[in-house]
Amino acid sequence: MGENWFQREFMAPRRLAFNVFFYGLHVGLFAYGWYSQYSNVRLAGLNSLLWSVWISRGAGLVLALDGGLILLPMLRNIIRIIRPKLTWLFPADENIWFHRQVAYSMAFWSMVHTTAHYVNFINVERTQIRKQTALQIHYAQPGGITGHFMLLIMVVMYSTAHAKIRKECFEAFWYTHHLAFFFMLGLYTHATGCFVRDSVEPDLISTFPFYSTEHCLGYLSWRFIIWPGIIYFGERVWREIRARRATRLSKVLIHPSGAMELRIVKPSFKYVAGQWLFLQVPELSSLQWHPFTITSAPEDPYVSVHIRQVGDFTNALGERLGVGPSVVAAMTKAASKGYEKDSKDISRGNFVEVDPAMSSITLPQIRIDGPYGAPAEDVFDNEVAVLIGAGIGVTPFASILKHIWYRQKKGKLGSLRRVEFFWVCRDAPSFGWFQSLLSEVEAAQADPNFLRINIYLTQKINEDMLWNIAVNDAGADYDPLTLLRSRTMFGRPDWNSIYTRMREAIETGQYIPGSNSQLKTKVGTYFCGPSVLAKAIKEATVAHSNSNVEFSFAKEHF
Amino acid sequence: MGKLVWHSYARFVSITASVYAVWAGFFGLFYRKFFWDFVGGTLRDPGGIQAPASAAPFIAIIVKVPVVQIASMILGMIMLVVEYPLPQIKEFAIYRSLAMRVVFLLIQVILNILYYQGTNAAIWSLIAAMCYTRAVMLGEEMKEAQENRGKGGIA
Repeated sequence: MGENWFQREFMAPRRLAFNVFFYGLHVGLFAYGWYSQYSNVRLAGLNSLLWSVWISRGAGLVLALDGGLILLPMLRNIIRIIRPKLTWLFPADENIWFHRQVAYSMAFWSMVHTTAHYVNFINVERTQIRKQTALQIHYAQPGGITGHFMLLIMVVMYSTAHAKIRKECFEAFWYTHHLAFFFMLGLYTHATGCFVRDSVEPDLISTFPFYSTEHCLGYLSWRFIIWPGIIYFGERVWREIRARRATRLSKVLIHPSGAMELRIVKPSFKYVAGQWLFLQVPELSSLQWHPFTITSAPEDPYVSVHIRQVGDFTNALGERLGVGPSVVAAMTKAASKGYEKDSKDISRGNFVEVDPAMSSITLPQIRIDGPYGAPAEDVFDNEVAVLIGAGIGVTPFASILKHIWYRQKKGKLGSLRRVEFFWVCRDAPSFGWFQSLLSEVEAAQADPNFLRINIYLTQKINEDMLWNIAVNDAGADYDPLTLLRSRTMFGRPDWNSIYTRMREAIETGQYIPGSNSQLKTKVGTYFCGPSVLAKAIKEATVAHSNSNVEFSFAKEHF
Repeated sequence: MGKLVWHSYARFVSITASVYAVWAGFFGLFYRKFFWDFVGGTLRDPGGIQAPASAAPFIAIIVKVPVVQIASMILGMIMLVVEYPLPQIKEFAIYRSLAMRVVFLLIQVILNILYYQGTNAAIWSLIAAMCYTRAVMLGEEMKEAQENRGKGGIA
């Protein structure tokens, strides 16, 4: 195991710096909130409740901070714009991670705040410092009502957001997370009851915000933290407007492997390689947006996504297009038998176009929202780009490889000299659609040293298959499995030796023709796939960086 | 994607509610108050609400001796042991009984609704119990844990 969970989550240098800053800020604010309540002579009445009121006020201030922070990482469009400028400061593609950290902190401080208030209110009732009962404050005043309501919403939102539930039923997570709207309303109005005051009765007035700041001495934090909420709301509205712009599904191609390729024409949609989008099919559900990686290059006249029929939504989409799982299964079977192998064109069965003119099927209305960022945008800043896709995680690289190919044709490669493409894949049938793209890119390569394709098949192969490969592979121009010129390798890649060899080759000047060893060579690794593999690769990149060669690592999230 | 597995969802609500119950019960030891004392109670200044004479049995087990709070803490801990679960408990078939959880959670509701701090725990336990009931109605079953799970290197 090497390191335990705590070391990994909290003690890794960047995490440690974040934790010290983040939790330091929280504890600092808590202490300030405590002190400002404690030392406020105007609140002497409340201070007779002693430590519980100091704690509740401190925790309240911390919660205001968290309430302001929680929406920031969700401002997708703004993050997409500012990310390229701020990569040095924080990994903005880790926005969901940050969202979770704020949420954890929020849960903890809610516990502190609520506990303290339960003590506060029972003491108010006992001492009758205000002529109220505890239950009146809890269930009849704005602060109490919104507080209990927010706690309930948190239970529902947090429990459905657990990784296990998201996996089992993404809709449950997706829909309940929109309770955030009511949660935020509750948060912004939590203090409207004027609980923190120096007067006997709450000093409520008839004009907004319906309490006077003369006697209501809360933090007035909603004035600050409401802005992320407003911006987020605006962004959702903007996304809705943008999604309604003219969009047409122009073509549907079914690849023999079962992947559906949707080609969408939307002139207002601008993107760069490696980004992803949200797709909605109003006929199937007018509420659900599903993320897909863009597989076309920006130079293409259309936007394409490749969709495998693996879940409810994708199956339903397949059925709608008349190519449900049964049809695809038959196609896949036919393709894996290799019916068309005898024909001259080297491919594993061709794709089939769903043509509304030929069949009774009409193409559904479709809406797309995006694009949203991915770290692979900055491929061209490196001299060498190592692109590693594992399994279905290869999809963003379709766009990037195509894009690199277009740029290469135009001779605008930036500092990019070489591309190493790795695809780690478990089983052969899933090669299908991507293979056609790879062979296109491979065939178009004038310079054999520019793009190298490495395909690793990690599936256990039985003896029959082994012999089959051995017999067919020997002397053939094309690899029998992928039908590419590059050979398929079997077993898991050994990243350490791969990076060692790459570094040595770069240092001796063999790798990049004409490169100068005085200059530092930048090698960027772009990975998309499971996190276990990501960790292994990241360690390899860190271990092999030195003064001559700098390996960097970026991971994409789905 | 997919279908909500109600019992795996209910588990998270149940864990949350049970943690709350333990914490509420703990604070209930120090600030003892019968939740329903406002029914027919009189407000004293100072002193707070004094429960009516008819509530004497509840006052005896909540305010005089915090039996309910202690019971609620113990039950909450039992729920946590079952739900988390403690490794030793996985072997028993009863561990996989959803009906047992519904019963336990309903007892938790009753215990927690009685004292001041327990209201939210009671409401959340009720939600968890309803989710488990839904799971039972849909015929969901908990799968038996595989023997070799979590024993890296042995299997």
